[in-house]
Amino acid sequence: MSNWGIVLVVAVAAMGLTVSVRVYSQQPTTSASKPAAKAASPVHSIVLPQYPPGIAEGPNVETYRKDCLTCHTARYVSMQPRFSKTVWQNEVKKMVDAFGAAIPEADQALIVEYLVAVNGAEAPATISAPPR
Amino acid sequence: MLASLGGFAAASRTFGYAFEFSSARGFATEPAETAARQLARYPQKTELILLTDRPPQLETPLRYFRTDITPNDAFFVRWHLSGIPTTVDLQTFRLEVGGHVKKPLSLSLDDLQSKFEPVTQVALCQCAGNSRGLFEPRVPGGQWANGAMGNARWRGARLKDVLDAAEVLPGTVQVGLHGLDSPPLEKTPRFEKSLQIDHARDGDVIIAYEMNGEPLPMLNGFPIRLVVPGWYATYWVKALSSIKALDQPLKTFWMDKAYRIPDNADANEDHQHLSPLTIPINRMSVHSIFVRPEPDEQLRAGQRYELAGVANDGGNGIRRVEVSQDGGQTWSDATLGTDLGKYSWRRWQAWWTPPAIGSYRLMVRATNAAGETQRAAQWNRSGYQRGVIEQLDVVVL
Repeated sequence: MSNWGIVLVVAVAAMGLTVSVRVYSQQPTTSASKPAAKAASPVHSIVLPQYPPGIAEGPNVETYRKDCLTCHTARYVSMQPRFSKTVWQNEVKKMVDAFGAAIPEADQALIVEYLVAVNGAEAPATISAPPR
Repeated sequence: MLASLGGFAAASRTFGYAFEFSSARGFATEPAETAARQLARYPQKTELILLTDRPPQLETPLRYFRTDITPNDAFFVRWHLSGIPTTVDLQTFRLEVGGHVKKPLSLSLDDLQSKFEPVTQVALCQCAGNSRGLFEPRVPGGQWANGAMGNARWRGARLKDVLDAAEVLPGTVQVGLHGLDSPPLEKTPRFEKSLQIDHARDGDVIIAYEMNGEPLPMLNGFPIRLVVPGWYATYWVKALSSIKALDQPLKTFWMDKAYRIPDNADANEDHQHLSPLTIPINRMSVHSIFVRPEPDEQLRAGQRYELAGVANDGGNGIRRVEVSQDGGQTWSDATLGTDLGKYSWRRWQAWWTPPAIGSYRLMVRATNAAGETQRAAQWNRSGYQRGVIEQLDVVVL
């Protein structure tokens, strides 16, 4: 009987919540989200895990961080094979012209220099491996 | 993953003739970067291969392709812009249907499920850039191996029925579609796509609210995504929130500049003479891959081994799959698996007993019901629509 009492209390409490959220997470479920999930909340939510990328050291790396990594992870660069300077120039141009990145012209050249240094076709193998 | 990197190193040493075939590389089903990539675990997902974390792009490991249906938690993930939806309130979520229509609609998930006849279709969802990492010369972009696809049973409302309820006006040429994802900068073009109105109303295109009998995982487009059977996944707009009937073709970066292929059936061009004409990518071409063996697997001489894989096309259905164990000199028919419909992939298998220790080049090619088959070589600047005959170099010990 006491078990049913607890179920009833939880159910009433869940119905009474003004905001209940279904949280899907790979982290251990928090005690707060457990009853919410049982109440079939209309709010579905996920918490994105953090997989910080390794950022290769190189010339102008701070410019690269500031102008590029606002919008996307450094893995957009580290997953690529080594490319020529022309390819990297086109990629930076695409970010400005097509995706609206506000990168000053002087910075664009600095970023290309960085990309060629860490992942250029002629660059030595200096790019840091992704964290495991 | 370290083991597979080691396997790649061994394979590239063993096969000095990797460029004997014009499109071939010694490690034909896995680019080096992928072999070295880490696994990641995202909400509602099992461990997948991490291409990028912001926005998330996750590739399905090959072993999940050993069944007809790809499990939701192993299904690949690909978002374009970092503002991806992580919270959806079904009380306030609405699919807006408007533009060149007589009766604009604002549909809740419940409306879609209760007011329109549900239809179910098994269909392969394949990224336009699947296998991009295998093109030679290499091209920039998501460096996928063969795991940017998945086969699922989709249930939802026909796009046609929803458009009919909104009473599309005469003169409508396209529908424009976008979802809940948002660009990181004001000047970044929102991800949106268009379909010709006749395609949108063909009865096959679905607004799906179920994937393999369950709600869609958030990262695969909860609560609804467009399913465009036979067409590449770029059109399968996730977290679909807006459908607009248009009396002029949609002008957007995502149709006019991105996701374009050379203007020929095989999406083929010469890297020194790029095709002057490009068109939006569309129907999937004939495509087949090995699922077994995996790139780093070693086989035993004299032991019977089950070669297996999947093959698909853009909606005619696969009629034949052939395999070769001698670099394409001789071919034999593989056995086709269950036929789940013309938009599904088709699994195949073939037994092979490697006769002796040594190196072998396995190949697979498919033919569809329209008689279309695969090319020996293919390349394009964006690494789209790979349909080249698959090659896999194996070491038999």
